[in-house]
Amino acid sequence: MIKILYFGRLRENTGRREETLALPEGITSILTLKLWLDSEHYLDGALQDPSVKTMVNQTLVHNDMALSGDEEIGFLPPVGGG
Amino acid sequence: MLENIEICDTSFDPAVKLEAFTKANSEAGAITSFLGQVRNEADSVSELYLESYPGVTEKGILGAVEKAKSRWPLTGVMVIHRTGAMGVGEPIVLVATAAKHRRSAFESCDYLMDYLKTEAVFWKRQKTANGTRWIEPRSEDYKDNDRWR
Repeated sequence: MIKILYFGRLRENTGRREETLALPEGITSILTLKLWLDSEHYLDGALQDPSVKTMVNQTLVHNDMALSGDEEIGFLPPVGGG
Repeated sequence: MLENIEICDTSFDPAVKLEAFTKANSEAGAITSFLGQVRNEADSVSELYLESYPGVTEKGILGAVEKAKSRWPLTGVMVIHRTGAMGVGEPIVLVATAAKHRRSAFESCDYLMDYLKTEAVFWKRQKTANGTRWIEPRSEDYKDNDRWR
């Protein structure tokens, strides 16, 4: 199962702080997962925004990062500072 | 070297925290502290909401503390940061640094605050009479942070 965490405005866009799901068939990378989630949650491309960073198991990754199906994935809009 | 990094979702008493830090750093000749609180301005912010990424936020702050330690001879560092909803006048952040002499304490405290204002992993939403909005660092914050590069 993958655990997906949404922060800041993305939490409001998706209406959830986190979700746990089995990696859908055909979803093999961060890029394909973002596209799938965008359509699933009607995000109007919010996850594709280049300012949104992605962390896998709390490490920053690029869109081409392959997924095995047991990761924690965080989607991070620009930080606001303290 | 005494380090205390806390991300907390309930209010804290800066005076109590600072007293404990001061006592624990009795060998330091200089302690600098900075307290950030929710501003009370007419027609301005009525509530501030901060969100962190548990684990990632602490790791980032720890990295900044490590950099401060390598740059200045510090004997102690404390970073207390709130998350959740805060009302006007509530403390948001308390940073304190202890060193043998004042310059190191002053500069390292300033450095850590610049990190916290621009790079720390927090998302900040403010509520005003006109609604809520997510806010990002101001250009002045980035300029301040660039002083240390």
